[in-house]
Amino acid sequence: MAPLALIALFLPLASAVAIALFTRRNASVSAGISIGASLGAFLISALIFNQLRGATAPETLNPNWLSIGDFKVDFGVTLDALSQLMLLVVTGVGSAIHIYSWGYMRADRSVSRYFAGLSLFMFSMLGIVLARNFVQMFIFWELVGVSSYLLIGHWYERASAADAAKKAFITNRIGDFGFLLGILMVWAALGTINFSSIADIMKANPLALGALGTGTGLLIFCGCVGKSAQFPLHVWLPDAMEGPTPVSALIHAATMVAAGVYMLCRVFILFTPEALSVIAWIGGGTAILAALMAVQQNDIKRILAYSTLSQLGYMVMAVGLGGPATAMFHLTTHAFFKALLFLGAGSVIYALHHEQDIWKMGGLKSKMSVTFWTFLIATLALCGVPPFSGFFSKDEILALALGHNMPLFVIASIVAVLTTFYMFRLVIVAFINPAKSDPASHAHESPSVMTLPLVFLAVLTIAGGFIGIDKLYEVALGKTELGNHTVAMAAGLGAFAIGLIAAWTLYANATADSLTTRLGAMAHWMRDRFYFDECYEWLNRWTQELLATVADWFDRWIIAGAGVKGLSLAAELGGGLLRLMQTGNVQTYALLIALATALLFWRYIL
Amino acid sequence: MNLQLITLEVVVTLIGATILLGSLWLPADKRRHLPLVAAAALVVLLIAHCFAMGVDTTTTLHGFGGGIVQDGFAICLKRLFLASAAFVLAMSAPFVERLRAGPGEFCALILFALVGMLFAASANDFVMLFVSVELITVTFYVLTSFQRHETRSLEAGAKYLILGGVATGLMVFGISLIFAGSGTMSLREISKLDPLPNLMLFNAGLLLVVAGLGFKIAIVPFQLWAPDVYQGSPTPVTAFLAVGSKIAGFALLMRLLRHTSRPETGFLLDALAALAAFSMIYGSLCAIWQRQLKRLMAYIGISSAGYLLIGVIAMAKGFDGTKAILFYLAAYLFAAMATFTVIGLISKEGEDERSEILNGLHKRSPGLALTLTLSIVSLAGIPPLAGFFGKFLLLQLLLEMAVNNAAYYWLLGIALACIVASLAFFFGIIRAVYWPSDVALSRATAPAAPIPTSLPLKISLAICVTGIILLGLQPDVFLDLIQETVRAFRWQ
Repeated sequence: MAPLALIALFLPLASAVAIALFTRRNASVSAGISIGASLGAFLISALIFNQLRGATAPETLNPNWLSIGDFKVDFGVTLDALSQLMLLVVTGVGSAIHIYSWGYMRADRSVSRYFAGLSLFMFSMLGIVLARNFVQMFIFWELVGVSSYLLIGHWYERASAADAAKKAFITNRIGDFGFLLGILMVWAALGTINFSSIADIMKANPLALGALGTGTGLLIFCGCVGKSAQFPLHVWLPDAMEGPTPVSALIHAATMVAAGVYMLCRVFILFTPEALSVIAWIGGGTAILAALMAVQQNDIKRILAYSTLSQLGYMVMAVGLGGPATAMFHLTTHAFFKALLFLGAGSVIYALHHEQDIWKMGGLKSKMSVTFWTFLIATLALCGVPPFSGFFSKDEILALALGHNMPLFVIASIVAVLTTFYMFRLVIVAFINPAKSDPASHAHESPSVMTLPLVFLAVLTIAGGFIGIDKLYEVALGKTELGNHTVAMAAGLGAFAIGLIAAWTLYANATADSLTTRLGAMAHWMRDRFYFDECYEWLNRWTQELLATVADWFDRWIIAGAGVKGLSLAAELGGGLLRLMQTGNVQTYALLIALATALLFWRYIL
Repeated sequence: MNLQLITLEVVVTLIGATILLGSLWLPADKRRHLPLVAAAALVVLLIAHCFAMGVDTTTTLHGFGGGIVQDGFAICLKRLFLASAAFVLAMSAPFVERLRAGPGEFCALILFALVGMLFAASANDFVMLFVSVELITVTFYVLTSFQRHETRSLEAGAKYLILGGVATGLMVFGISLIFAGSGTMSLREISKLDPLPNLMLFNAGLLLVVAGLGFKIAIVPFQLWAPDVYQGSPTPVTAFLAVGSKIAGFALLMRLLRHTSRPETGFLLDALAALAAFSMIYGSLCAIWQRQLKRLMAYIGISSAGYLLIGVIAMAKGFDGTKAILFYLAAYLFAAMATFTVIGLISKEGEDERSEILNGLHKRSPGLALTLTLSIVSLAGIPPLAGFFGKFLLLQLLLEMAVNNAAYYWLLGIALACIVASLAFFFGIIRAVYWPSDVALSRATAPAAPIPTSLPLKISLAICVTGIILLGLQPDVFLDLIQETVRAFRWQ
């Protein structure tokens, strides 16, 4: 199986290289190669899954791929239920988005560069999924960051896109720094960075990490905070929406941002209870914070971005509450319906000639019926309405919270209310209310190259809850202990009802957001994202300014002044004085020679 | 009588005589080719000596009553002398127009100085030592003042004559004291005497001989003549003075110390260590201010002599200093020859060779600019060129010596500080060559025309640059070569 998996891994890389080297000038060939590579990887993943059905494949690996002294890294693939399913999700959703991109990006000037980036991303993401040790994962972790950078900045002529790309990359770097420290601490404490060996050691001795166990776990979690955009490093994700919409769907909704959660599940055994409770609270906090911000956004993609943040918070919270299987289940269903939501939004944006303000939309229900219905299915799934897939996974999270942590259950339920509210605000204003602008009243349904992936993802969204995905994750990660299902379900459905009614009352036939005036200052805080960005900017500027001043002072006065100038002055002075000896007068010279010889005599002979 | 020991000396003397006679018979307009003819003859001789004359570098031969010795060390040095004389003759070729007195005499004098150097490499008693030194010095009295129509050349000759006379006086007096103290003129016999009949007289004589040789190699406090004489002499003569004469001095000093080093004369090594430190400091510090290129080379030569003394001390103490010294000398030879060749090409007749003449050289002759830069960089001891590795080998010796005697850490610190300080002159030159200030450019009166360079000079410069780069990048090859040659040469 491993060779097959390696083929799936390297197909997209080959595609990226081929596009970059040979077919840059030919958009359709590039797109074909990239889509083909993605579909090929998907087929191989399906084949692997069909063979193994969640069983763990024996490991084959190259034992000395990298060795530095005692530090040896092998290169191989992990094929258990977790990675098999994740492979399917990444390649499946990825393929749908590749195909969709061919429609969405058709008019773009650099389609080839775009598809090369997508392929590079697929390679990196599959690398994370298949990684069998921390170093391998970290390498692909960084590669994912690079490809994300390239794709967010695809329209680099726009300053906002270039800035967003930089912001995403740098913010991730902060998290990755902690991640790397965590990896080093794991290596120092356990002497191995292989996931399977780590699991063996931790199973034999849960306290193997010693006193630093919680700290190590939290450092590892830093990687997730960056990549999965958890509080306080969540600021990069909304800005990342500057990238093309399919990129937002693939990377910043369905797959890459979920890599953090995937990583947490992969090494779940490392985390101490204390670390887990921190993780749970960070996740819960992110969920409610992001949901509140989403309520007052007007950009269709930004609403979805905050929704993604909020849902990622759910997943991280589920991990923290001891339910990695639940988290992975929600990750999977979320990948389906959030990708669908983004692609639907992309379809709307495409039809309205890149209009993203929902208050300038309206009346799209009848004009773009495929987009509308699939979007609605995804919305219902996100809000946790049965029988859509989101219902099952969300219900599990609520039940998990109910069983382990009451305050977090309350928070999760409030988030559920807010989720329904902001999603139906979006649906009502953009699709159901009458058209409020010229492009909106002349909108047409997108071509079928774009609508077919919508339908494919809609099918997955509907079916996702029934096909036993959760059972497979439980095989890999262990069964999760849940709280009372009935209460959780009641809470979920109640939240949906409250949110829906509130949204309907406020926004049916509304032309402007009346909530803004009612909430007053609070609305400003929500819309301006609680001023996190400003805060960071101020902090950055202030610390950098301070550091720069200190460094400048040090350089100017200590290094240049005392060090360089002082020394050079002394040397020049010495040279100048010695030059005085060089009078040019032969008598002086002869005298000096005689005196020097006499001095030598006096010193050494007498 | 063993004439094969002095084959080179005889042949070079014959070449010199032929050149003298040739210049009598040749029509005047053909005479300007004489330097190239002489250079070509030396190159042929050098190649023959290396490959065809069946010279056995592994055995030590004595002759002429023990006055002449031929061993690997002498052979190595003789080849360096031949090469440096060939370079000097090649750079004299475009210079002959400025030598009113005629090229034939000039070439012959250079060749006779070369004979002195060749003897110096083999000298094994005090008579040979004195004769070879005087043969070199007397010819240089004439050579330094060869541009008789120029006051500064005459001044240089006068200074060299007077101060050289003082040095000779010291040396002769030293030799007589040594004879009084030991009863023999032969270095080999002195090394076998135990105990010395009169240690006090012997030591005093030794110090005076070292002082006389210190004048040749220009170490503090016998260095004062160097900047003035370097500046005033015709550039090829300066080059020969800076390279050939200095190497000859070191050859004699090393052989002298080889035979006289013993516990009772240990004071001499302490004195030399102090002089090495002063030479390095003096050379490096004075170089910072110096804008006259030939004076600058004098200061570089003074500090180089300081570094080389480290190797001499190490050798006298029984460390393997010969290799490091020979490597440094070879590196110094290539870099100094290239620098003087470029200076000679750029400067016009009667012009003071100030660094302004380099302004914008990069635009005029990029090849010369690059050659000069590489040479200066090598002289400053910046990796990866030859000069760096030479200094590295010497400092390594210093570090080995410091293990037994912590006082050498001081010398090491001083050497390092001086290497850093010597970066200053290097930047000044590079800047003038590549980024002259606008003020400096506007002051330059010379039209920015390319400098004509003849083919032999191009070849000569190319050899120098190749040497600088190869010695830096592949020091092992050259070190193995030296090792091969001095294998049988043990200082005992």
